[in-house]
Amino acid sequence: MKTLLTLFRIEMKLSIREFSSALFGVILPVGLMLLLGVLYGDKMAEGGNYSLVQQSFPAVITIGICATGLMGIPITISSYREKQVLKRFKVTPTSPLMLLMAQFINQFIIALLSSVLVWGVANIIFGYRMIGSLGQFMVVYLLVVLSIYAIGMMIASVAKNINTANLLCSLVYFPMFFLSGATVPYEIMPKGLQIVADSMPLTHGIIMLKSISLGGNIKDYTLTFVCLILLAIICMIISVKTFRYDYR
Amino acid sequence: MTVSHKESKENIMEISGLTKYYKSKLAVKQLNISVKEGEIFGLIGPNGAGKTTTIECMLGTKIRDGGDIRIFGHNIDKEAKHIYKRIGVQFQTNFYPDRIKVYEICLMISSLYDDVVDYHILLEQFGLHDKSKQLVSTLSGGEKQKLSVLLSLINKPKLIILDELTTGLDPKARREVWRFLKQLKSKGLTILLTSHYMDEVEYLCDRLMIINEGEKVITGTVNEIKSNYKMDSLEAIYLQIVGEEEANYENTLNAL
Repeated sequence: MKTLLTLFRIEMKLSIREFSSALFGVILPVGLMLLLGVLYGDKMAEGGNYSLVQQSFPAVITIGICATGLMGIPITISSYREKQVLKRFKVTPTSPLMLLMAQFINQFIIALLSSVLVWGVANIIFGYRMIGSLGQFMVVYLLVVLSIYAIGMMIASVAKNINTANLLCSLVYFPMFFLSGATVPYEIMPKGLQIVADSMPLTHGIIMLKSISLGGNIKDYTLTFVCLILLAIICMIISVKTFRYDYR
Repeated sequence: MTVSHKESKENIMEISGLTKYYKSKLAVKQLNISVKEGEIFGLIGPNGAGKTTTIECMLGTKIRDGGDIRIFGHNIDKEAKHIYKRIGVQFQTNFYPDRIKVYEICLMISSLYDDVVDYHILLEQFGLHDKSKQLVSTLSGGEKQKLSVLLSLINKPKLIILDELTTGLDPKARREVWRFLKQLKSKGLTILLTSHYMDEVEYLCDRLMIINEGEKVITGTVNEIKSNYKMDSLEAIYLQIVGEEEANYENTLNAL
């Protein structure tokens, strides 16, 4: 436990120093929430009894999950592999998995912090209030974290070197960032793009989060829920099977 | 109680029949190495001879194709954790994460062991205490090498393995490292190192093994090897074994 805590603290310092997690994971979504709040004001959603801010909040909080899970985790882990940090850890009595765990916790806390700050902005400045059940919302939030982090871990494992990892991250991250509804609302996309968006796990995560936050029930999404869990399990299996401590 | 040190020391490390292929290419062939407690043992050979592969196989960071490895009497396949507790390793490439500071990497490595030396004392001994808050990336080459030796000592090891420790260091920094290794030896530490500098080997090593293309060529003390070859210079022996490249530059020169 002491080991994990020390590693976590150092990982946290390193990612603050590195700054891109903070920028893309925290500052960007908070900024976007501010922007949307100013643009939307008190406007209500078409054909709904909720505001546009209420409609967009659940999508904005997933940006932090994506930035940490699809950029932070895979890029840090493959750079640790490239720099032989994991190999150096392997010749100690502590498993290098401890370092991975510290990295997960670190990224998760950044994502969580980002969500809390986005909520703070939405709530304090724009009077945001969740209509649906907070408990159910949090369960789905954790599910989205799980599946996105599993995809990130899979990228970290299958990439043969850090350049491939970077490329794969961008290939997965940017389409999800723009098309899953996190930044551009799913509702206003043309039909063609919606089909592309439908193929992305995050889209379904956001649809669930939105619906629940607006008063929907988790029970109506059993199939989506099970699919995301299966996706997470498959990614984790691939990740564990292909994981290596060094590239050579 | 005083103990006589006259009787031969025990083997701290025993490797027999180590074999490793990269795909179908043979990298290490049937290597037997035994290192005695308290000695400095050198594994010597040209680039690509299999030194690093041998070290990685004996540590279990590379999967070997054959051979038995025992360190401190423990089998590496079954009791690796016992071995790792009391072994210090410096790999050829430095392993520092980006943007980490000197004291942070010390803390990081310290946290991996139950029983450690206070790293502040080591920083003091290595003359790095005033760099403690500096980023590792801002250290000079010599300072980085010193830091990596320091980190290999954090867990109070009985055996340290140093892979091409002094490659890339200037002569002054090299001598500094040599003196330090001698001091460590006088404190009872066992050292296994790889090198391709013969002056270093002559100065440091109690015993050595020269390998070429993954195979043992000869092993013994420096003097034993010299008398075996009836030659006075270890460098000459080494070049004879490795096969001195008599490059023909004339065509190139004529073309200029």
